[in-house]
Amino acid sequence: MSFLGQEQQVREYQHRFKYLNVGLAIAFTLLLIQLLNLQVLQGDSLRSASEENRIKRVKIPAPRGMIFDRTGRLLLDNRPAFDLEVIPQYLKESKLIDETVTTISKITKMPTQDILKILNRAKGQPAYLPVKLKTDLSRDEVAELKSWQIAMPGVSVEMEIKRTNVYGDLASHMLGYIGEVNSTELPVLQKNSARRYKLGDSIGKFGLEQKMEHVLRGEDGEEWVEVDALGRRKLEKYRGRFIAESQGKKANPGKNLTLTVDQDLQKAAADAFGDKVGSVVAIDPNTGEILAMVSRPSFDPTEFSRGIPSSLWQSLLANENKPLRDKTIMDHYSPGSVFKTVTAVAGLQERVIDENTKFHCSGSLRLGNRVYHCWKKEGHGEVDVINALTKSCDVFFYRLAQKLKSVDDIATWALHLGLGRKTDINLPRETSGLIPTEAWKKRRFNQEWTAGETLSVAIGQGYVLTTALQLANTYASIANGGTFYRPFLIKKINTVDGELEKEFQPEVLDQTRLDPKTYELIKKGLWGVVNHPNGTAYAQRLPGMNFVGKTGTVQVISLAANKIYQKCENMKFRQRHHGMFAGFAPMDNPKIAVAVIAEHACHGSSGAAPIARAVIKTYLEKYFPDQYGPKALSEKGVNPNQSLQIKGVEDEDVVPGIQNSSMMDDEQDQPPEPQIKKPEE
Amino acid sequence: MQYTSVESEGFEPRVGMYEEDLKKFNWNLLILQTVLFGIGIWNLISASGTQDKAFGLYKTQLIWFALGLCMTAIVLLLHYSLLSRVAYIIYFSNLILLVLVLVLGKSSLGAKRWIGFGSLRIQPSEFMKISMVICMAKYFENDRTVGGYGFRDLILPGLLVAVPVGLIILQPDLGTALILVFTFCSMMLFLGVRTRTLAMIGLCGVLAAPIIYKFGLKDYQRQRLISFIDPSADVRGANYNRRQSQVAIGSGQIMGKGYKKGTQSQLNFLPEHHTDFIFAVFSEEHGFIGCLILLAIYLVFLSQGLSVSYTSNDKFAMLVSLGICLIYFWHIFVNMAMVMGLLPVVGVPLPFLSYGGSALITAMLGVAVLTNIANKKLMF
Repeated sequence: MSFLGQEQQVREYQHRFKYLNVGLAIAFTLLLIQLLNLQVLQGDSLRSASEENRIKRVKIPAPRGMIFDRTGRLLLDNRPAFDLEVIPQYLKESKLIDETVTTISKITKMPTQDILKILNRAKGQPAYLPVKLKTDLSRDEVAELKSWQIAMPGVSVEMEIKRTNVYGDLASHMLGYIGEVNSTELPVLQKNSARRYKLGDSIGKFGLEQKMEHVLRGEDGEEWVEVDALGRRKLEKYRGRFIAESQGKKANPGKNLTLTVDQDLQKAAADAFGDKVGSVVAIDPNTGEILAMVSRPSFDPTEFSRGIPSSLWQSLLANENKPLRDKTIMDHYSPGSVFKTVTAVAGLQERVIDENTKFHCSGSLRLGNRVYHCWKKEGHGEVDVINALTKSCDVFFYRLAQKLKSVDDIATWALHLGLGRKTDINLPRETSGLIPTEAWKKRRFNQEWTAGETLSVAIGQGYVLTTALQLANTYASIANGGTFYRPFLIKKINTVDGELEKEFQPEVLDQTRLDPKTYELIKKGLWGVVNHPNGTAYAQRLPGMNFVGKTGTVQVISLAANKIYQKCENMKFRQRHHGMFAGFAPMDNPKIAVAVIAEHACHGSSGAAPIARAVIKTYLEKYFPDQYGPKALSEKGVNPNQSLQIKGVEDEDVVPGIQNSSMMDDEQDQPPEPQIKKPEE
Repeated sequence: MQYTSVESEGFEPRVGMYEEDLKKFNWNLLILQTVLFGIGIWNLISASGTQDKAFGLYKTQLIWFALGLCMTAIVLLLHYSLLSRVAYIIYFSNLILLVLVLVLGKSSLGAKRWIGFGSLRIQPSEFMKISMVICMAKYFENDRTVGGYGFRDLILPGLLVAVPVGLIILQPDLGTALILVFTFCSMMLFLGVRTRTLAMIGLCGVLAAPIIYKFGLKDYQRQRLISFIDPSADVRGANYNRRQSQVAIGSGQIMGKGYKKGTQSQLNFLPEHHTDFIFAVFSEEHGFIGCLILLAIYLVFLSQGLSVSYTSNDKFAMLVSLGICLIYFWHIFVNMAMVMGLLPVVGVPLPFLSYGGSALITAMLGVAVLTNIANKKLMF
């Protein structure tokens, strides 16, 4: 080994540096070419790719239209709800978890363990997603949290719009509820609507919210915001640097509805119902405007608007009184004696009876080998049409029916007056009810009509099914002398600026002028029901207001003969008779027609009529104070508030031995689901 | 010509610097290093300016730089021939550190790369690069083989590299391991390998590749490889980083978006934008012009380094400085090519620009050694 050796070697190696230089040149040229490629050749397209990355279109949800009653009172509102949210990542970075949790716990009165439990449960999701700690904060909590916010990084109070039924559970069925659009509704909406819907949107699911979706729904706006890689919106102060302010579109709120209903009437009806089950519909007989529409029991749709707790939804579904069904239009019932008015109209108009026709009621009627009973075992004796209505004599109507050519005569008049067909009211899920004809039975069962069935139909039993709305229509048609107006709920549609967009006018669906004589006789009969001491609803009369109507009591299950006369109140609730009432007031210039169905209330007279009475009294006192206000009435010498309970009044009862089709019909569809919160562990 | 071998003559290297040393002192590399680090800090302030986890990191980087300057001063006071004496000591102590990392290392992002001394966290694999170069230089210093090395000659140096490479792969830190292998290979090519041996090794490599792919790589590494070969395979996943990086560079266009205005990095679309992808931040904000300037500085830096190697008069100095230059070169090339999408994603920092204490200290130590060699070669 020599020094020289190393020197020579170093010399030799020095020659090799030219290769290194070449390698270096090649490598840097390669890098340069790629830089040119990316920054110069592809520069434009990659620049727009970077723009697409950071600029996201964000929806600004449009508030739904509000709903007012006929006097302009707000029924359905969009109210802010405040939620407490925490972004776990910021909380973690602040290293103030304990202090923050203690402060939150002190302000919201949530135990610290609960807060930590919620935070722990959220550990599975990305830490930058906010976690909801508490919903619906009170104003005090919001104020206190806001003042603490600076000391608690990651904690924020977020506002959401809550669709609020101002009057809680009142009119909930009519107003309806909203929920998240689901995958079966979406394709239908996209096909039938000009608006764009996508999953996650809230849509009307029930009631007016559903039917008037196209009016109530506004047009969502959009804005362009700058987001980071996690989709987090950039802070306001950073934004101006990147974004042109002019882009975006404002949200267009939905249109407001003014209804025909009166909130006072609604409340009077609900109060009169108490905890009874059933429905009431009140209509202006001269226009078809619906003045009140109540179904009980009810629910509070406000609880639905931001996701209903699963347990609450389940309890609503499980409730055997079906609070989620709108009993005014979705459920149909055998009308019972309330239908006798229609039979009487048919008999008079077809001229098989007149004011002088009298039938003898011995308590029953034999047809073939079957006996048709009157509800009064001992019979009513000689009765004419007025008496028959007043006392609700079944035998009279059996005999009347026997004189008619066929059941179709009854059906014709029932249809004219508004039964047996949908009214196309502004609500979804209306059922048509049923008015049987011979042809219908042939079609449905392929069987001939029997004479006995006509007798059942004559007293509103057998196949006859009506809704509360239809009964109200029918009595409204009778009250105005034969004009069937389409019932309607919406008076007008206004834009959010108050401009009138559309006003709804009365619409005549069927015009059959009743003979003045028929009109007189029917009114007299109905007057007797409420105002004659022998009438079945004498206890409910309204002195000075000329309140008239007809009661009905309908058996809901077939009972053995020995049980039929037992006291209704002693039976199990769901086996008790339905109470029905339909009527109008005042008799000579009808202003309001009302139908009430009180499920399992045992009697039409004591179960249903008081509700109709309360609604009518409230309406006449409010809208016609000069004629029917307390002062006006006392000047006339009547006291409408006098005690009306009079002993010894006959209370109508069910007719033995007749089956109703409502007893067989027990299939009910499920109500549409709103957005349901996941059950909590 | 009377050259003195430091080794055989028992030459005592001088300690400290003399006045005449200062006059002809070669400052070039130190100046270039400072310029590059200045650009690095300036760029890091932008990259860590937003509200992300890198916030304020440039301050830490400045502290590391100060530490690096102290070490540079120490290195400059000694003579590089000292390195030749302690070469194997350096190498084996670094090897022990690598073992320690695996035993009690701190993990970050699923990899164990750090060991802590108090609040100081160091990455021994970074220092291994220089240790390995010194070890190789020492190993070949007195070897006078001519006509290239055969297979048998390569076994021992190969083992000296394979052991640390294996330990580093276990961490796992594929990027650093690759840099070691690349540096070793390019050094060996420089020293000369017989054509037949080269062909055989090449053949073995081709045959071994599938086996390494199957058993030697982790899942995420395989993913990166697949996505590199077929970019459309997984746009959202493994290929996402590459795509975002290309978008960042390309969207800078010719003039750049402006300092602190790079949306890709400011809004976190760019992954690891303060470490491995720092070049994308720079090119997004400063465009093609900025990149040209940066590349030029790197090129000048490398050629300055190579000229130190070229002009060194003993073999050890030449090999050490060449090795250090190769380390820089591979770092710069692999990092930029990776960020630009020319190579699969491997974690290799860009010298002086990427955030990272150990990498910065290593890079600065390299400059210190090069400067030492540049200034001590003429002394007798």
